Amino acid sequence: MIFFSHPFWALLLLMLAMGTAHAEVRNEDPTEAMVRQIAKDLRCAVCQNQSVYESNSELAKDMLKLIRDKVTAGEKEPAIRDYFHQRYGDYIYLEPTGQGMNALLWSAPFLGLGLGGYALWLAMRRWRAQAVMTEKTASQTPPPTPDAAMQSRIQQELERMRM
Amino acid sequence: MNGIWKLVLLGAVMAILLLFALGLKNDPRDIPSPLVNRPASDFSAPALEGHQTVSLGAHRGKWVLVNFWGSWCVSCVAEHPYLMELAAKVKGRSDFVMIGVDFRDTPDAARAFLKRHGNPGYAHAQDPEQKIAIDWGVYGAPESYLVDPNGTIRMKHTGPLFPGWFEQRALPLMQGNTK
Repeated sequence: MIFFSHPFWALLLLMLAMGTAHAEVRNEDPTEAMVRQIAKDLRCAVCQNQSVYESNSELAKDMLKLIRDKVTAGEKEPAIRDYFHQRYGDYIYLEPTGQGMNALLWSAPFLGLGLGGYALWLAMRRWRAQAVMTEKTASQTPPPTPDAAMQSRIQQELERMRM
Repeated sequence: MNGIWKLVLLGAVMAILLLFALGLKNDPRDIPSPLVNRPASDFSAPALEGHQTVSLGAHRGKWVLVNFWGSWCVSCVAEHPYLMELAAKVKGRSDFVMIGVDFRDTPDAARAFLKRHGNPGYAHAQDPEQKIAIDWGVYGAPESYLVDPNGTIRMKHTGPLFPGWFEQRALPLMQGNTK
């Protein structure tokens, strides 16, 4: 028994256990893989943001069973997705389709980004034009000569600093 | 120039606030059913009481109220008195029938429910694995569909039917159809 308590054996046993677990995942029934693929994209209609595959609600369980039956019966994925879409509408898809009004929804962020970029470009062009203008006026016109009151104040300051 | 942009910004903010305000009034349970104005999917299932089967197709030519319920459903208890009242009211009509679909339920529990809260007298189809319910796009109970004489779903009502539902919601549709 002391022989097996050696860390090496523990590690080996662990690796063997992991190996078998891994093999189980790889040998999964292709039907079940398709069931999961379909059910992960369908919203559990009575839960908050869970897919039919993840949810434990009765409706989701029965939906999963129905999907399994349909896959076993040889129905194709688009047909099964369509079956639920026809009955529950766009809401059933966790990722909305890009058709019809939804196309607007999908493109709106990019449209907004483009518009914002265009507005920024326009604004930057105006800022630069303004900067160039002030630079030009600054270099062309000589600084204004201070008037008598200003001059006497400057004089005062200078004298104070000398003291 | 600046004034115009301020107005545009104000307008955009107001529009978003207005949309929010409208959105608040929506009932989150009242998701529009894509099945309205589509042919109802026919079903045939063992009846809750007796040994016959209940089928929708047998009532072609009549308006059919299909009521999805279950003995586990609390709102169905609240709805039940109106179903009793409605069943008694439409008993004499030759153009209107009611069918119950008892889903995700056991026959014993459903019969106990009817015994306790009263039996409206129309037939109920058993749907233990909610195959009919899913086929009809049902989320929960109670939900009701009104099917016209041609077998087209004309209306879905989510939640309990309220007193006066028949006169306010069903009759206008039925009269519009016969004209």
